[in-house]
Amino acid sequence: MSGRSLRSWIASGSPWVWLNAGAVAISVVMVLGLLALIAVRGLSHFWPHAVSAVEYRESGGEIVSLAGELVEWETVSAVQAGVAGADPGASIRRVLIKTGNRDLGGLDFRWLSAPQIVGMSEPENLLVAERREWGNFYGALVAVRSEGAVVAAGESAWPELERRLEHSNDLSERIRELKAGDIGSLNYRLERLRLERRTLELDGADTPAALAEIEAAVEALTASYRELEDELAALTRQLERDAMVALTASGTEVEIPLSKVVRVYRPNAMGVFAKIGHYLEKLWEFVADDPREANTEGGIFPAIYGTVLMVLLMSVMVTPLGVMAAVYLREYARQGLLVRAIRVAVNNLAGVPSIVYGVFGLGFFVYAVGGTIDEVFFAEALPAPTFGTGGLMWASLTLALLTLPVVIVSTEEGLSRVPRAIREGSLALGATRAETLWRTVLPMASPAIMTGVILAVARAAGEVAPLMLVGVVKLAPSLPLDLNYPFLHAERKFMHLGFHIYDVGFQSPNVEAARPLVYATALLLVVVIVLLNVVAIRIRNALREKYRVLEN
Amino acid sequence: MENAVKRAQPIIGVDLSRLNSSGEQPALGERTLAMETRGLSLYYGDKQALDGIDIVIPERQVTAFIGPSGCGKSTLLRCFNRMNDLIDGCRIEGEVLLGGEDIYLPSVDPAELRRRVGMVFQKPNPFPKSVYENVAYGLRLQGIKKRRVLDETVEWSLRAAALWDEVKDRLHDSAFGLSGGQQQRLVIARAIAVQPQVILLDEPASALDPISTLKIEELINELKTDYTIVIVTHNMQQAARVSDYTAFMYMGDLVEFDLTGTIFTNPAKKQTEDYITGRYG
Repeated sequence: MSGRSLRSWIASGSPWVWLNAGAVAISVVMVLGLLALIAVRGLSHFWPHAVSAVEYRESGGEIVSLAGELVEWETVSAVQAGVAGADPGASIRRVLIKTGNRDLGGLDFRWLSAPQIVGMSEPENLLVAERREWGNFYGALVAVRSEGAVVAAGESAWPELERRLEHSNDLSERIRELKAGDIGSLNYRLERLRLERRTLELDGADTPAALAEIEAAVEALTASYRELEDELAALTRQLERDAMVALTASGTEVEIPLSKVVRVYRPNAMGVFAKIGHYLEKLWEFVADDPREANTEGGIFPAIYGTVLMVLLMSVMVTPLGVMAAVYLREYARQGLLVRAIRVAVNNLAGVPSIVYGVFGLGFFVYAVGGTIDEVFFAEALPAPTFGTGGLMWASLTLALLTLPVVIVSTEEGLSRVPRAIREGSLALGATRAETLWRTVLPMASPAIMTGVILAVARAAGEVAPLMLVGVVKLAPSLPLDLNYPFLHAERKFMHLGFHIYDVGFQSPNVEAARPLVYATALLLVVVIVLLNVVAIRIRNALREKYRVLEN
Repeated sequence: MENAVKRAQPIIGVDLSRLNSSGEQPALGERTLAMETRGLSLYYGDKQALDGIDIVIPERQVTAFIGPSGCGKSTLLRCFNRMNDLIDGCRIEGEVLLGGEDIYLPSVDPAELRRRVGMVFQKPNPFPKSVYENVAYGLRLQGIKKRRVLDETVEWSLRAAALWDEVKDRLHDSAFGLSGGQQQRLVIARAIAVQPQVILLDEPASALDPISTLKIEELINELKTDYTIVIVTHNMQQAARVSDYTAFMYMGDLVEFDLTGTIFTNPAKKQTEDYITGRYG
């Protein structure tokens, strides 16, 4: 009876439906879980966490005072925690505390065993100072100094500090703009003049007149450079005037020049709205600013910029190439053994590990092609390579090669779906095959081409391994697209979100401090890829709508 | 025996009063010829699809090709504008003349030929463009860009295809919004916009409903005052209704070719009569 009902239940097909639905559910849970994990871990980093003052009994018995953020609690075996003479079966709770002050203590994280914690409180006067060097500072404000003299102390010191810090940050910003903008542009022009002179020398065209002309230009640029330098020096002097005096938890008094401070805040004294404001400010800094401190602080704007620019360049390169190849294979080539073999080869190229493309890109594009380009066109810069080293151009080309099969396959698919009747209709009106292709077949295949581009973008944006060989760096001095002629510097090295994750997470001198940034960067990489895809998908849907009803 | 008997009545129930009332059609020899084939054979690889066809297409008349499926009538039709060139492994022997010149000479540009010999297919195949752009397609191919010329030709073609009144308010909407019958008339308008000498119709009404079919047939009747029309059809009533001359084909051979009235009332070959009376095919 029950055997029969089980059989009929199986025969009814509902177990199959359950199985399928279960597979979908597991996939959805996995994807959402992944996103939730990196979102929570990454986004919580920017929240101003409370700073605790801890009284801790060291193993020697003396009591020390510590201040810092409690990062995470965990339970470990006492042996692992390093408790002397511990019972092998016993376990203790311990907490990771970020004490900062790396300039004083050498380390900015330490583990505290719960049993040795004597007292813990969150006093409102504890401040966090984010510095341009040495990481965070934790302590209490004593006074504000200007040119060595105390201008405010005690309760009035905090507002004075905030006011002066704002001023000094403005100055820092102006100095940065001056350096990166005007002075950077001057340096760039001077370098071009130097190369111009070298070109003239190499060509044997270094007549006194020509040299004098360049000399005059150099003279003019140097003059304006000196002016800027003076301005810079004045700003720097102004910047170095102010300093804050603070007391660490252990009672050491330190003076921190405000030029080295990015921001100060007292998280224990902040209300919810102040915290939200702080959070948004930090989030914006992360997206829009340059990295600091070996990439463990500050923002990742250059990496976002590099990733997006590289993907766009890659799309621009791969689309025409892939479409042309697919058109030849599908429309012109005589379908036979050779074309079949080529098609199989193209499909298999999609399965080649990406690092292999990286090696090829390095050997062929960078050394062979780039080296030759340098010899022929950039001889004046040698022995410093221009294109003969990894750069945006070669990275994009390598990825274009990597994603070429995807574009070819989906374009071919699209071309094969254009009904024969439409082609014949066009030919019957006196169109040549090329005209038919341009006026009807390619437009009708354009949604499929876009599908290929979408897949290519998704794959290229996430690739890291080949890029490490052909142009991605930990920290690029300048963006590959800027206001200096010729604007797009395809030979420059660039930063990339995927590589940034690897670098920050595993190559960083301060892994603990950088870990939240790994999650935040990973989240941002996902967001960037999704955005790129959404744009491409919208274009495709618009095209689909336009060339709808193929099956009519 | 039966073949020898002269019939006054058609052997199937089609109305041939149209032909009878307009008097006897002139014999083929008295007509000016638009196209002509001489010893035309066609092979798909090793398989022979047409075997030494000799046929003439009289000018400004409707010529119908009938015959069972696979008899080669569409293949023959597609020889008239070299549509078979596009098929791999297709080979042709013999001549096809347009205005006395062999269209298979290497010097002939197939695109130019197809402009002179237009074609309409079995299923409506409008391009994924607006009604206007569909009709203007052939003109744009010829490099005509002047808005006024395009406007005039589009209107004229749509009027000639009896479609203007139905689409004049949605010229710039997608052609896919039209009904099947309208789409087929749009395709005919598109074909006549380039002013061809000959229009080839490959079962133009087989995918349409009876009312649309009727409209297409009326259209064919009107078009023949200006164009030479060759139509392939499965439907013998249709052949009888619209054509002046009818060719019956079987297994790649041209069995019989004569005035439509003769074919349907008094065929010379028993094979033709068997097919027309529905004994096979």
